[in-house]
Amino acid sequence: MATGGYVGKILYVNLTDGRIEEIETSKYEQFGGGHGMGSALFWDLVEDKTVDGYHPDNLITMMTSPLSGTLVPSASGRTECNFIGLIAYPIGWYTRSNFGGRFSGELKYAGWDGIAIQGKSETPVWINIANDKVTIEDATDLWGLDTYETQEEIWSTVSKGNTDDGTWYGVGTGRDSGRTLQKPAVATIGKAGENLNRNACILHDAGNAAGQGGLGGVFGSKNLKAVSVIGTGSVEIADPAALIAARKEFQDKFAYNVDAPEMESPVPNFPAYGAITLSPGFGPLYLPTHVPSRPQGCIGCYKNCRRRLSTGVSNEDQCVESLFFINGSNQIDQNKATDLLDKAGLNVYDVFNHSYLYALNQMGIMGPGMEIESSLPFEKYGTIEFMEAYVDCIINRTDIGADLAEGMARAAKKWGRWEIDTASGLLDRPNWGFCQHYEPRLEVEWSYGSILGDRDINEHGLNFYVHWHSIIRGMVGQEPAISAEDMVNLIAEGTGVGDPMGWDYSEEGIYGDPKVQAISWHRHYTRFWKQSLAFCDWAWPNFINFNSADGDMSGASPEFEVRFYNAVTGKSLTWEEGLEIGHKIWTLDKAIWTLQGRHRDLEVFADYVYDVPTEAPDGLPMFIDGKWEYNAGLGRTLDRDKFEDFKTRFYANEGWDTATGWPTRATLEALDLGYVADELESNGKLGA
Amino acid sequence: MADIDKKESVAKAGVSRREFFTGVGGLGVGAVLGGALLKGILLPDEVLAIPASEGYLLVDTKKCGGCQTCMLTCSLAHYGRENTTLSRIQVVQNSFAKFPDDLSIDQCRQCPYPSCVDACPTGAMHADPTTGARMVDEEKCIGCERCVNACPFTPSRVQWNHEDQHAQKCDLCKNTPFWSEEGGADGKQACVEMCPMHAITFTKDIPVQTDSGYETNLRNSHWGHLGFPVDDAGEKMPG
Repeated sequence: MATGGYVGKILYVNLTDGRIEEIETSKYEQFGGGHGMGSALFWDLVEDKTVDGYHPDNLITMMTSPLSGTLVPSASGRTECNFIGLIAYPIGWYTRSNFGGRFSGELKYAGWDGIAIQGKSETPVWINIANDKVTIEDATDLWGLDTYETQEEIWSTVSKGNTDDGTWYGVGTGRDSGRTLQKPAVATIGKAGENLNRNACILHDAGNAAGQGGLGGVFGSKNLKAVSVIGTGSVEIADPAALIAARKEFQDKFAYNVDAPEMESPVPNFPAYGAITLSPGFGPLYLPTHVPSRPQGCIGCYKNCRRRLSTGVSNEDQCVESLFFINGSNQIDQNKATDLLDKAGLNVYDVFNHSYLYALNQMGIMGPGMEIESSLPFEKYGTIEFMEAYVDCIINRTDIGADLAEGMARAAKKWGRWEIDTASGLLDRPNWGFCQHYEPRLEVEWSYGSILGDRDINEHGLNFYVHWHSIIRGMVGQEPAISAEDMVNLIAEGTGVGDPMGWDYSEEGIYGDPKVQAISWHRHYTRFWKQSLAFCDWAWPNFINFNSADGDMSGASPEFEVRFYNAVTGKSLTWEEGLEIGHKIWTLDKAIWTLQGRHRDLEVFADYVYDVPTEAPDGLPMFIDGKWEYNAGLGRTLDRDKFEDFKTRFYANEGWDTATGWPTRATLEALDLGYVADELESNGKLGA
Repeated sequence: MADIDKKESVAKAGVSRREFFTGVGGLGVGAVLGGALLKGILLPDEVLAIPASEGYLLVDTKKCGGCQTCMLTCSLAHYGRENTTLSRIQVVQNSFAKFPDDLSIDQCRQCPYPSCVDACPTGAMHADPTTGARMVDEEKCIGCERCVNACPFTPSRVQWNHEDQHAQKCDLCKNTPFWSEEGGADGKQACVEMCPMHAITFTKDIPVQTDSGYETNLRNSHWGHLGFPVDDAGEKMPG
């Protein structure tokens, strides 16, 4: 029986034998939704959890949350995907990636809380979901189309042309199945996925991608071109009036007022300032928009981070996608390069390091007749022509693209460069072969979370405060809007951890016991509130209110997450109970990684993190000589022994074996995961 | 269904009221009279006209963020459940298209001469006696969908509510049992209240009966400061 927020069933599709079945959501409701439900499904449905990501038994879950498709701000539009990944190095860990847009809402309106896809089709197919009617369709004619072309074809097919002329169309055969004006929400692969690239993504609409992990390659390995969904059903809300009132109150108190902002960038057309103010159109970060545009958001968003442009090129792109060709001489070419990725379905974060390849060329190592043979036009580096050749070679597996399609880490390994270049930092890939995102020697909830997990965590909830705030203010000549001390106090209070020293990024602070608590909180928080309930990473949590009208900078979290969740579901969950579910999900994931071969000895960073001092200034809060300050953290290296000691204390805190990092039976049973302990034990991998 | 069978339901004998309404394209007598509130105008087939609505939703499509918050709010306030297809205001967009032609906001015009009201054989579709808002008396609706098909706009602003089995359209939030605010032409409208981009507004003046009459520029200098256009056409970079 579904409660508010859930629609009651999960779709299971087996592409090997064509089975289409329903799974009752209630069986997995204890995990919240999204990632938690996905991991629980994975545990139940994948017998051998050590299979390779390309194996037909690999399970893709595309899950919503009870908040999907609802008015809960910036929690309605994310779809969380779990699967055995392709890109992590040296082992393709069981991993996750989520994407925004409309897919999650349409899936709920169609009557599904999620999708689980297993098996492998003999021929190219796409999955067509129209309310409760689910069919596996022939995708022969779609194979070879780019991600945009594929979506347009499916829109027209599903709507029978109605989305072309803007008329209502029926989803089903009679009027009682409902009509819609909305286009089907389609998640698809491009050529990169078809060619089984480890760095392929899936794309939905113009710029929503699930990229890290190589989900596009997993789709391709199953001969799955796309999943389309359109729905006309309803999502029940336990307390509608409370939800509307909470949304209104939240928006009035904490959102950026577009007509009369409380805080505004002193520099016009500077999207990155939105890291502080939450202003719309934040997506392109440092790139001012050169042509007229609108903000564009996922369903239910109150921020609307992205933009659609009058050129139609680079629509809805954001973050590192927008910065892919940051060295381009003009924004027209920069946007073109970004569109190349979108249409090919290539994950920007693995191919972001084209400057590394250029460095190898300049070092006389890569190029015609050189140690690493390549005919890429390095003489045109910095032009769109180079970027076109670069992307083309990867998606078609030609030239060095044959290696790069396996991911930058595996390519560097094949070239004999991995060890030397990650030791020097020339190739700055600190954890599991993923590109450095933020400074791993300083902003340690990012790096520790990544190495203790499965990927670059890509969790900005604290990062916008501790990293971006002071840097962005400095970029426009402003002092911080809040002192370092006040910042960490608000974070400590909002998280519930209580001790502000958990957010001390000083030489001592990054190894301390308070940091253990802060990292633990972060892992549990993100696993539940963010990745299972699908609160957007770019909007939540909200610990500091820079849009305050009355000077009170206290943020919305955790009060509003709890209010929203309970208004939707009718439950009475507390913040702390959510964190405990996060602990459960995090530990379940750890059990899967353990079966895949994880041991604490593997949870170490690339050598440059330990051996090469930082050179670029950061701006993190640090407690130095008895006082809080924002500090650049120059000259920092991570100490191997101290980090190992940190790991020992962290494992103990999580209830994991300190010698191996494996979960123990006592912990698993306390989390109601005794069946997981049984399987670990039968595989000789239960923590002592 | 829906718009597809619209033409077949229109009477063709002489100049019907619907043809009159559609023929004036929305220009209508309301505009001719300069926006005065109409309480009884004689139409070509000598039927007393319907009181004008005392409120209208205006939108700035160039300010819209496409988040569909208005739709989620509309569905929730009226029905207590979320369903974008049950929203009486519809945002329709194409991710790949060029701004500003990538998006439309399709809201009811509360037409001065409402074809939907005229087409209803039971009086279910009516003008609210106190505010003039064109509304559906759900108890009287027999599901013939003449109102749906009579709407002169594409897409039709009147919808078939397939879950509750009646026609529906924007009532300016007159009947919002799941919203704690007072709605209607004399109250608040949920979509206006909740739009995070402040791209929807409400007016009591009858708009000029063209598409542009319901399109307004709600963008000020702060919008321009964010790098978005503030000119009416949305064609110029600010500054």
